Amino acid sequence: MKNKVVFIIIAAFSGTLFLFSCRGEQEKKAEINSQWKFVKNIDLNNVNPIGVVAQGDFLWLSDVDNNRIVKIDLDGKIMESFDGFQRPMHIAIQKNKVYVPEYTSDSLKILEDGKVSIYKLKEKPDAIAGVSIDGNTAAAVDFYNNRIILQQDNKVTIIGKEGHKNGELYYPTDVEISNDLIYVADAYNNRVQVFNLNGNYVRMIGWNEGIKVATGLKVTDLQVIIADFEGNRVLVYDLNGNLLQIISDKFNQPTDIEIVSNKMYVVNYKGKTISVFKKE
Amino acid sequence: MKIILKTGIITLLTFATFILSTTNVNAQTKSETDKTYIKIEVDGLSCPFCAYGLEKKLKQAGSKDVLIQLEEGEATMSVPKDQQPTEEKLRKIVKDAGFTPKEITFSTTPFKMKKDEK
Repeated sequence: MKNKVVFIIIAAFSGTLFLFSCRGEQEKKAEINSQWKFVKNIDLNNVNPIGVVAQGDFLWLSDVDNNRIVKIDLDGKIMESFDGFQRPMHIAIQKNKVYVPEYTSDSLKILEDGKVSIYKLKEKPDAIAGVSIDGNTAAAVDFYNNRIILQQDNKVTIIGKEGHKNGELYYPTDVEISNDLIYVADAYNNRVQVFNLNGNYVRMIGWNEGIKVATGLKVTDLQVIIADFEGNRVLVYDLNGNLLQIISDKFNQPTDIEIVSNKMYVVNYKGKTISVFKKE
Repeated sequence: MKIILKTGIITLLTFATFILSTTNVNAQTKSETDKTYIKIEVDGLSCPFCAYGLEKKLKQAGSKDVLIQLEEGEATMSVPKDQQPTEEKLRKIVKDAGFTPKEITFSTTPFKMKKDEK
């Protein structure tokens, strides 16, 4: 009798657990497949943005034409502006530090509380187009050398070399570290490539959609989102590279993407605007 | 007497103004003639990564005032006359930056920008 009760309790517990996990899976699947819907365009006041990162309810933008970094609110109003950066490109943020790659000077700078310091790279790049920071790991896009400099404390790993095959890069422009994987906007190979922390090729994303120039990317827990600069599109994939959505007609040379409070912000270089989307 | 003094002062002032303006013009002309102005037409100059990459490479060649015009597909710059790069060197720089150079023009006077003409 006692054994029977224990068995029933265990069975009930397992069943509940199973149902919850199924529900969790269903919710996750629904979240992955939910579509982004256009909300509005925000005009930027004379800002030609390349990179965008979020800090709370604010966005930081790299204004490449005007050699500055600006902080704006979610309505596009400039709150702070920091001049003197030499062609800042795809920026990154960790805690209160904004990491600014300078394309012209080959320096990786840190902007914190209005002060600027330098993050030392152990390899010499030629035109840093983007950066990603994850704890003590930094990944910098070395545009003219067609590679990623991955720096983990004192260890340096070089990812990629010039070419068009799997694992090779052709003028990369953006990078993101997510869950121990390195996602690279392989701009003029018209795709995103994924590598592990040892620099080994994992997979390719976006090849079948005829991306013209894969300039920027954003990786969330569920999606990989790519900005197609020349194609004026944004393409949404799951983490395995399955296409979920293509958004077009809303952009004017999109360069980067950020997500804040379930809204997607896409910056347009030529349009000097931000296109805002929310999940349906 | 008063009239003579007044006329003298006006003449002096006029003369000084003339001298100063002539000097200024001469200085400007001298500075401009010390330079060579270069215009490079480039194929495939479409994105900011390309444009500012070319800007970077041309600055490394000795110019401080490289101006890239994406819409026109042009780069203009000036260099001191005694440091003027050869056309062959410029073509190599443009190629190394990832582009195909078209026409390269050297001039002793600054180029008129299309946006200035509008």
